[in-house]
Amino acid sequence: MKNRLKPLRTERGWTQEQLGQALGVSRQAVNALETEKHDPSLDLAYRIAVLFARPVEEIFDNPHA
Amino acid sequence: MFGLAKTTLPAHQRYAIRTMAFMAVYVAINVMAIGGVFDRIIGKPIAWALAVAVAAPVIGQIWATLSLMRESDEFVRAMTAKQFIVAMGLTMAVATIWGFGEEYAAAPHVSAWLIYPVFWGCFGLVAPFIRNSR
Repeated sequence: MKNRLKPLRTERGWTQEQLGQALGVSRQAVNALETEKHDPSLDLAYRIAVLFARPVEEIFDNPHA
Repeated sequence: MFGLAKTTLPAHQRYAIRTMAFMAVYVAINVMAIGGVFDRIIGKPIAWALAVAVAAPVIGQIWATLSLMRESDEFVRAMTAKQFIVAMGLTMAVATIWGFGEEYAAAPHVSAWLIYPVFWGCFGLVAPFIRNSR
């Protein structure tokens, strides 16, 4: 799923490891999200949205829109 | 904030420790059997207890893998499940081909217990190529 996770992370100066810790997931999971190898669950997508204080749709493209 | 959340690294460490423990039991029982420790019971009904004892670590390993999935994040869980399914399918295909090979093509008989190491061989073969959850 196309997303803007990497630019959001890098503009805050966070590593994948740090973002993973903040979200409660592994660095591999963050990398998989950024490289579109994993579509997040609704729960994880909302956690990411809360962390970056943005609506989910601003971070993840809705493939059905 | 960054230091408080749980990562999956401890889950992998626990999985590695559990795997080594179960494999040690599996190998130890087989080494003892090969060494003749159980020779007095071989061929007797009580030898079924030995067969079950060797299989117990196999069941333990399945538990260890399910624990890894339960204790990991959603990406690791999905990827591990996918790796398991593909490895299991490959193992069943190999076993089916060989089984019918024995029936129809006079292939030499292979002991059924080999399916366990074959499964892990298949898992090791497919795991590096399955790096996404889809």
